[in-house]
Amino acid sequence: MPSSFWTVAWAVAAKDLKIEWRTKTAFASSIVFAVLVLAVFYFARDPTAVAALDIAPGALWVTFTFAAMLGLNRAFLLEKENRALDGILLAPVPRSAVFLGKLVGNLAFVAVVEFVSLPLFVLFYDLAIWRQLPTLIGVMAMATVAFVSVGTLLSSMVVRTRFAELMLPILLLPFLIPPVVGAVQLTSRVLAERPLSDLVGWLKLLASFDIIFVALCFFLFEATLEE
Amino acid sequence: MAIALLGLVGVYVRALVFTPIERTQGPAQKIFYVHAPAAWAALLAFAVAGILSLIYLWLRERKLDTIAESSAEVGLAFSIVMLTTGPIWGKPIWGTWWSWDARLTSTLFIFLLFVGYKVLRGAIVDPEMRARYSAVIGIMALVLVPFIHMTVYLFRTLHPDPVLMKPGRPALPGVMLITLLISIGVFTLLYVGFLMQRYALAVLRDVREEEAASAIP
Amino acid sequence: MSPEARPALVARGVSRRFGHRVVVRDVSLEVGGGDTLLLVGHNGAGKTTLIRLLAGLLKPTKGSVTYRGVLGMVAHNSMLYDALTARENLSFYGSLYGRAAVQRSDELLERMGLTPHGDRRVATFSRGMVQRLAIARALLPDPNLLLLDEPLTGLDDAASGTVRDVLADLRAQDCAVIVATHQLVELVDLASAVGFLVGGRLVAVEPIEGRDATAVMVRYRELAANA
Repeated sequence: MPSSFWTVAWAVAAKDLKIEWRTKTAFASSIVFAVLVLAVFYFARDPTAVAALDIAPGALWVTFTFAAMLGLNRAFLLEKENRALDGILLAPVPRSAVFLGKLVGNLAFVAVVEFVSLPLFVLFYDLAIWRQLPTLIGVMAMATVAFVSVGTLLSSMVVRTRFAELMLPILLLPFLIPPVVGAVQLTSRVLAERPLSDLVGWLKLLASFDIIFVALCFFLFEATLEE
Repeated sequence: MAIALLGLVGVYVRALVFTPIERTQGPAQKIFYVHAPAAWAALLAFAVAGILSLIYLWLRERKLDTIAESSAEVGLAFSIVMLTTGPIWGKPIWGTWWSWDARLTSTLFIFLLFVGYKVLRGAIVDPEMRARYSAVIGIMALVLVPFIHMTVYLFRTLHPDPVLMKPGRPALPGVMLITLLISIGVFTLLYVGFLMQRYALAVLRDVREEEAASAIP
Repeated sequence: MSPEARPALVARGVSRRFGHRVVVRDVSLEVGGGDTLLLVGHNGAGKTTLIRLLAGLLKPTKGSVTYRGVLGMVAHNSMLYDALTARENLSFYGSLYGRAAVQRSDELLERMGLTPHGDRRVATFSRGMVQRLAIARALLPDPNLLLLDEPLTGLDDAASGTVRDVLADLRAQDCAVIVATHQLVELVDLASAVGFLVGGRLVAVEPIEGRDATAVMVRYRELAANA
């Protein structure tokens, strides 16, 4: 009896995470990077002139997106090593299940980095986030889904080209603008405890980006696989 | 192509000599007649490349990819024009070379997408894979642009308020409006002319590649 | 293959271009249960490309490939994850096919003589062990068609022996087997037919008729000279 869509997606995601857990390289680099960004931004500002609230959202999202990029390349690179992806494609599995698996794996990776970095930021920048935490997490989730899904699709292509590590940032950068700008705007408004009406425009942008691009990426994934 | 070039000369004569000098901005404003239509042409080129990409994935007709590629390159050129005339216009008016405002920024990202497209194409040797991957990026880029526009719009902008695209009547006085429209028409012709030339070059290059490849024993 | 049996794989007029190079030209063949077809050809004659086309990993530029049943493949790359153990690899690939496949993992490890190494990471395996595990992976879904690309390359005698035993077993179990190889001596007595690939074209497919490796090579040179 062939495996269901969800079984396959779960198997792919679990396998990816297990492998990353064994090697931990991308994860370790991301955390180190987070601390670095934190420190640099912190020491670079003049506390009397620039409030923590002004800098923190930007620093936060720079960290998250770079962590994502470190993780993204890895996801398809490990399939390239022994042509493991061929093994997956030989099986009668729906390609979109493979994409979902990769996407979930990447999301989990970035999510862990985010949840480890966030307390560090709160500490360093002395942010009061407890009341805003649910909203903040919501914003983080929406923005992360946005750039990770585009990144997953792009990395599936880029892994087969020359200069893969350089290509991914070049291609991905324009696609980061709507979600990351939105995320920074929303984060800074949430931290400043602005009313919901101030957030609505950006929220709508993020939500529509998510829906449209996730669907588009699923749809286009198959075209990146076939030979 | 020749018609387009003649038209280009004609527009410029008109713009420089016949159109009145705009009140607050002075003669520098005339750059507008290059800047805005260049932006329009870049956007057109971009849209064409994007739509052809979509159709390519559906029909897999190699020619579509070649036209899309040519359109992207022409669009790249036009966007460079727009991005250079922008600051040239901006410096005397705003006192700054660059501002992160709505339309300049959007075009900057379209430019980056074009560059990314070219870089991607450069990194893939197999023509079929190249066409396929370019098409994927083309479609993604096409869908992205409205989002970039929305993103930048949600910001306050330094750019002169949309003069033509405002709801209601365009705020340009008649004469200038006509010059602008003619300019847009000319640039559209220029786009088509360049596209045809570039496409012809692409076809020649493909033929040469094919001959070189089959000459290998 | 008995006349009443339906073939496991049918290829008709299969061609494949890469850019402007035609690598496989108008190949037609048919294999059924119990057939073991050796594909013989020089390096560069298109053997690997043809195997990938037959496996469905590459789409033909012209022609078609159809199968009946389940397909397995053993290629030059192991399609295994170095960071995972043998068991984890099998359990992942098995889960793509369904629970029955996963349950076969232990039995296949046993059959390939890998049980003592089941919980060691593939990165620590020798070439022979990797190849045996790759075969185990290919056999997880209990395929009725197995494609192999140069399966004996780099193997010591013991490992080669295991592979040959497996091929003999498969033939007895009515599995269809296609092996692309230039190592005739070890495999010729397992073959039921030989296909001669010259410059991407399958110039002939002939029953083995008890020929030995030398006879096959002579025939190959004869066909290559006339092509």
